Amino acid sequence: MKTDTLTRPVTHRGTTAAHRQPPKVAITLRLDADRARRLQAIAEAENRSLTNYVETALLRELALREEAERVITMYVAPGTSPSIRPEDVIRADGETDEDYAARQALAVELWSIPDNA
Amino acid sequence: MVPGAFVRVLFPTREKPRQPGLLHIGYMLVVTATEAMVAYTTSQPWPAAVPLPAGARVFSLDEALQLNQSRAFLLRLDVLAMLPLTLTWFPDLNRGANGVIAVAPAPLQAELAKFATNLARRRRELVAMRGP
Repeated sequence: MKTDTLTRPVTHRGTTAAHRQPPKVAITLRLDADRARRLQAIAEAENRSLTNYVETALLRELALREEAERVITMYVAPGTSPSIRPEDVIRADGETDEDYAARQALAVELWSIPDNA
Repeated sequence: MVPGAFVRVLFPTREKPRQPGLLHIGYMLVVTATEAMVAYTTSQPWPAAVPLPAGARVFSLDEALQLNQSRAFLLRLDVLAMLPLTLTWFPDLNRGANGVIAVAPAPLQAELAKFATNLARRRRELVAMRGP
């Protein structure tokens, strides 16, 4: 087991309030020794600290999660239904059976997306 | 209110996502008796240096004119609002045309539904891969 302090409080001497970053919070990460060595080796190969490497990896993970959530931005007005039945979808004029079925499926899919705006 | 309509709607904003926002023309992707799934449109030019979002469908001036709109516009199938069919959100609901500017022809409706379906599938795959 290996313990590594990822982040430490940062001071901002000489900076104005407008340029200050939000304060960082120190956390402690426990890793298997082998994994820690591997990560350390990768970080050194990329000429960065282990802390910076792990932080970057975590930020990348957060960005991917955000992308997954934001592929579609959904605004949900108060009082709308949490789900929809396919038969509630109004059919468009001239819509084929196939197109209508596809749009019913789309409606069910879209209604399942939470408010993420 | 019919599916496939371009309609005047007070589309919510990022700043106040749960309140009626600015008057826009929205596209009625799905409609029920009481609610609608509306896609955002804007006629503001997209910045040339910024890649178009995956859910954007560009309507040229010619296409816009066929839909009773005087300027080229961008339909954002990746920016959706689930709204009740009320005057709060659709201010022209009680007027003659219910605020409907035009109704997309069936082939265009099918194209846009397919576009949205592919976008929703991509979202689902990413969520499955990365977690909700």
